[in-house]
Amino acid sequence: MKRKILSVLLAGAMTFSLAACGGSGDSGSGDDAAAEGGAGEGENTLTVMAWDPAFNIPALEAAAADYKENVNEDFELEILEQAASEDVERAVTTAASAGDYSNLPDMVLFQDHYIQRYVSDYPDAWTALGDIDINWDDFAAEKLDYSTIDGEHYGVPVDNGTVVCAYRTDLLEEAGYTIDDLTGCTWDKFMEIGKAVYDKTGKALLCMNADGNDLPYMMMQAEGVSQFKDGKPYITENETLVEIVEKLVQMAKDGTLLMPNSWSDYTDKAIQGDQVAGVMNGNWIIPTIEKVEANSGKWEITSMPTLEGGEGYASNGGSSLYITSNCHNVDLAKDFLAYTFGGSTETYDNALRDGGVISTYAPAGETEVYQEGVEYFNNQPIYADIVEMGTNVQIVEQSDYHYSARNYVGTAIVNIINGADTMEALQEAEDQLNFEMGN
Amino acid sequence: MKEKKKMSLLAKQSAAGWVFLTPATILIAIMAFWPMVQAFIMSLQTGSSANLQWNDPIFNNYTRMFSDKVFMTSVGNTFLYLIIQVPIMLVLAILLAQLLNNQHLRFKGFFRTCVFLPCATALVSYALIFKSLFATDGLINAILVNLGILEQNYNFLGHPTSAKAVIILALIWRWTGYNMVFYLAGLQNIEYSVYEAAKIDGANGWQTFWRITVPLLRPTIVMTFIMSINGTLQLFDESVNLTNGGPSNSTITMSHYIYNNTFGTGGVSNFGYATAMCFFVFILVAILAFINMKVGDTRD
Repeated sequence: MKRKILSVLLAGAMTFSLAACGGSGDSGSGDDAAAEGGAGEGENTLTVMAWDPAFNIPALEAAAADYKENVNEDFELEILEQAASEDVERAVTTAASAGDYSNLPDMVLFQDHYIQRYVSDYPDAWTALGDIDINWDDFAAEKLDYSTIDGEHYGVPVDNGTVVCAYRTDLLEEAGYTIDDLTGCTWDKFMEIGKAVYDKTGKALLCMNADGNDLPYMMMQAEGVSQFKDGKPYITENETLVEIVEKLVQMAKDGTLLMPNSWSDYTDKAIQGDQVAGVMNGNWIIPTIEKVEANSGKWEITSMPTLEGGEGYASNGGSSLYITSNCHNVDLAKDFLAYTFGGSTETYDNALRDGGVISTYAPAGETEVYQEGVEYFNNQPIYADIVEMGTNVQIVEQSDYHYSARNYVGTAIVNIINGADTMEALQEAEDQLNFEMGN
Repeated sequence: MKEKKKMSLLAKQSAAGWVFLTPATILIAIMAFWPMVQAFIMSLQTGSSANLQWNDPIFNNYTRMFSDKVFMTSVGNTFLYLIIQVPIMLVLAILLAQLLNNQHLRFKGFFRTCVFLPCATALVSYALIFKSLFATDGLINAILVNLGILEQNYNFLGHPTSAKAVIILALIWRWTGYNMVFYLAGLQNIEYSVYEAAKIDGANGWQTFWRITVPLLRPTIVMTFIMSINGTLQLFDESVNLTNGGPSNSTITMSHYIYNNTFGTGGVSNFGYATAMCFFVFILVAILAFINMKVGDTRD
């Protein structure tokens, strides 16, 4: 009997040791990752997560080279390349949910619209910048608004989300208009021009992916209005929003607004498939436009239309660098950020040259690299123009529920196009948003 | 040592049984049941995943989902898929099995492979292929326009009804062969002599099918029903990859909405609410499986 009991125990022990092996395996790999990210590394090394090898990674490399050359020749920046920005968000969510931040790198590049929610949900994951040596007045106020939470700076801006309205001047000409007609015009005028362009050329002057819903947000920001007011959803009572939604629905019916099903359809089929005469989005869309080489020289950019007329400015997307709570050398990270993205035109020049990353740092816009005309855009100095436009973007109320609001308004627009009543659909969006926010 | 000799044969067998059972039981308890208990605890909590708080009232997540219009839409969508797709698929599967079970059929192996082949494709890849087939500038549109059935390209995935139809079509394509294999196995267990006897008694094909094949296949039918219901209630890949739940949530499934609440856009990560919805799905599956077992119960 004893032996039997022993064998039972043995079997049990084996199972447990199996489970334990699994456990220790986990913590082992955790240690490895921590070694990559946190303490134990040299004093001159920082790690950072970023995701776009054609965009923000060259910018980080430019900053690292700049810092290494001019400040600390032993400096190393280890870039942990991720497949997409969601991977960075997931890494933070996972670490925070487990309460174990040891797997996070020293710094992360993070999307502006997400950061407010992440700081309020996971306050322990971040290190505030405090007394970092940066003259914040040099940056576009709107950009800083995202990364400033309760008056405390958390992030250093990297790129620029200023909205550009890019138009095909040749198609406008065919319809009897110029880009000047679209600069500072009203949305009614825009719709009129859009119709003429569509009738003449069959191309849409405006485009938004049906599940993307960023266009209404940009149009509202150009009016200085938000989807939120005093922390509450501001939808049905928001006359500006209602008017914008009605205009978008009308444009969709006119054929002026093309609505592909998804983001990839938007970039690959609508823009690169040459179905549009105009693109309105954050300036990071420019490399996508430039992929249609046949249209080189035919595009130009300008500001957004507004409801009452006058030039509109908005911002969509963009990201900043944040120091995590797992940073093993906060002083080095602060010094690196302050020197490079906090005030080095050399960093920004190279970031623009290598990755097309445009800055919101006003002095950067004055350098030669920024002043150069871009051949694709009919030799217009678009980079300087974009930095200039960026300084005009108005601050609107931000919310942790920014994306939820956008989703519900976007859903309402699709429903209205498919025949739902405007106010009912918007009421539903507001109810759903209130519900999600727990109001 | 003396004690060991005293053990009766029965006790020995029972001890051996426990020895064999223990490892698996412990593993299942650790890997499956303990997470379920934890998930249930989590479903009573709310707040960001780093700082979960007890709900007040405690079942708030459960009552909340019934006034959540998007969740209710997703339940409706899932049941629509279930009610339309499962019967069509199972009837098709049984017919195909019947055809392929024909003893005089040539190239049987080839046909069976063909029908089963869709099951070998990964869910994501077949969803993406359907997406490109039914795209506005896709193959289906090109064919329909060239045949003169459509006047201009139709955005199948951009309209609620056609988007649902495409998902159902995709599901039927993907899963019919899978169910057919079960029916084929079931059919081969039916003695051919039973059919011969029926033939001698003068039964026609229709009667043979309803009076012999279906009753004898009943256990298989019940099993495929339960599996299909279970699978459809947990539908995820098609909704995410084919339509991304759109247009305007008209094709979103329950699992997709649960995912959106955990890892969705904007760092939502509402784990408490999401696990509560998971338990709702779990209860639905249990109820439907129970009904199915009762209906399929052959004992009088």
